[in-house]
Amino acid sequence: MSPRTAAWRARGRLALEILAAIYLAGVWLDGTGTGIPERVLPRALSYFLQVAALFPTAAVASIDYRAEGFVCQEGQWRELDTRPYFPIDANDKENRFSRVMHFFRDNRKTMNALDAYLVERHDAGGNEDGIAADRSIGGVRLSSLRIPIPPPGSVLERPSRRPLASYPEEQRKIFYHTTRSKLSERCGTDVESTK
Amino acid sequence: MHWRLRRIAFWLNEPLAVLRIEIVRIGAPLAILGFLSKRLAHADEWIGDGGFHVPDLEGDWRQPFYIPPLSAWAAWSIAAVLVLSALGCVLGIKARQSAVVFASALAFVALSDRLAAFTVSKLSPVVMLAVAAGPAGSRLGVDAYFKRKKSGKRPKICKPSGAIRFLQLLPVVIYSASGIAKARGDWLTRPLVLWSHVHDSYQTPFAFALASVLPGWTWTVFQGLVLAFEVFAPLWFGFSRTRTPALLFGVGMHMMIGLMFGPVRWFALLMITLLVAGYLPERFLEPIDALARRLEPVRSPG
Repeated sequence: MSPRTAAWRARGRLALEILAAIYLAGVWLDGTGTGIPERVLPRALSYFLQVAALFPTAAVASIDYRAEGFVCQEGQWRELDTRPYFPIDANDKENRFSRVMHFFRDNRKTMNALDAYLVERHDAGGNEDGIAADRSIGGVRLSSLRIPIPPPGSVLERPSRRPLASYPEEQRKIFYHTTRSKLSERCGTDVESTK
Repeated sequence: MHWRLRRIAFWLNEPLAVLRIEIVRIGAPLAILGFLSKRLAHADEWIGDGGFHVPDLEGDWRQPFYIPPLSAWAAWSIAAVLVLSALGCVLGIKARQSAVVFASALAFVALSDRLAAFTVSKLSPVVMLAVAAGPAGSRLGVDAYFKRKKSGKRPKICKPSGAIRFLQLLPVVIYSASGIAKARGDWLTRPLVLWSHVHDSYQTPFAFALASVLPGWTWTVFQGLVLAFEVFAPLWFGFSRTRTPALLFGVGMHMMIGLMFGPVRWFALLMITLLVAGYLPERFLEPIDALARRLEPVRSPG
């Protein structure tokens, strides 16, 4: 190897070592909650540093997310099983439906897009989602379920998917529903109430 | 040069067993592929236009970068690139190039779908880049086999490698930051943080069995042990006397995490790979070294 090549290799190695040190410092600074990487780096880069702050707080409840569809012919809300439309990790909270709810439930633009997606998918038919395929839906109602964590020593039950209606009212929280005007437009009739 | 810098330079240039990076080269892509397996099976829903995608939120903090959904053929092509580059890396076929391609594809999918991205998604591109920067594929791989057969030269067993040092530091930095985040969160003030996380859809039958039989105070003890391990990880892994017990504790902790929280098992496997590769004592590398030697052919005379 020529001295010139060796010198370039040494410079390249030094550059990699500096990058590696910056990365490790970034992971540490992000994980410890300083907020420095977020302030100084573009979001797409600081995103890759967010790997360390794992489970820092206690869970206050076991959280699940559910959807209901407004059945036009009945004028009623019925539970809509979203799993056929979000098949990856369908039965746990890594499911993309749970994730969109977790991150974006207060973002109107995302919720409207989700609303349109679920209505379009159900009305296209072909999936068992708890609402008969020949019944079109005009919109969706999205809720969270907050199931209390049992104290140690109590008789435990394995988490399982039960119908939304079987949970007490105080454990359910609706945070999005299609507007009445949109329901009327999609159903083609005047929807009087969304309750 | 200042004596501290000299010590760092000495530490970085110290020859290390090449097998350490080979363990990551083989183990990490397998753990990452395991994590991606369900996503890969639904590539058109995951990164393609067949599933739901968060619209462009134009600068919203929850969307690090907007990438529009791909057409179905492009989504399946990315899935194929992920699988083939990972397998190339595992088998040692153009290992370093495969690692760069795998890392790039991993970074793309991590940015493309925020909804299916977790710690493994963000960590894995960096791990694979480190593999590419080190002497990966020079032992225990298809290319290494044919190179040896052709040249008859034995590959180097030890080499100075900043990449191996980086992979050794990575889990320790993660533990340290994670421990401090936990201490700043609820782990010092609430005795049942660990208990509170074993009751949702992550729960495995093993976690359910433990939660049903262990008394409440044991969860507080586990919580304290995990916190002490993580906060003081730089000390446990820094001192030679505590390094092997720390390795055993770390591997045990991740095994428990994998057994108790179903979908987290791939993260556990990735961390175990990094710990074993980085901190397995030299004498335990000897059987792997003996295996590597047996797989290295001797060039036939003539």
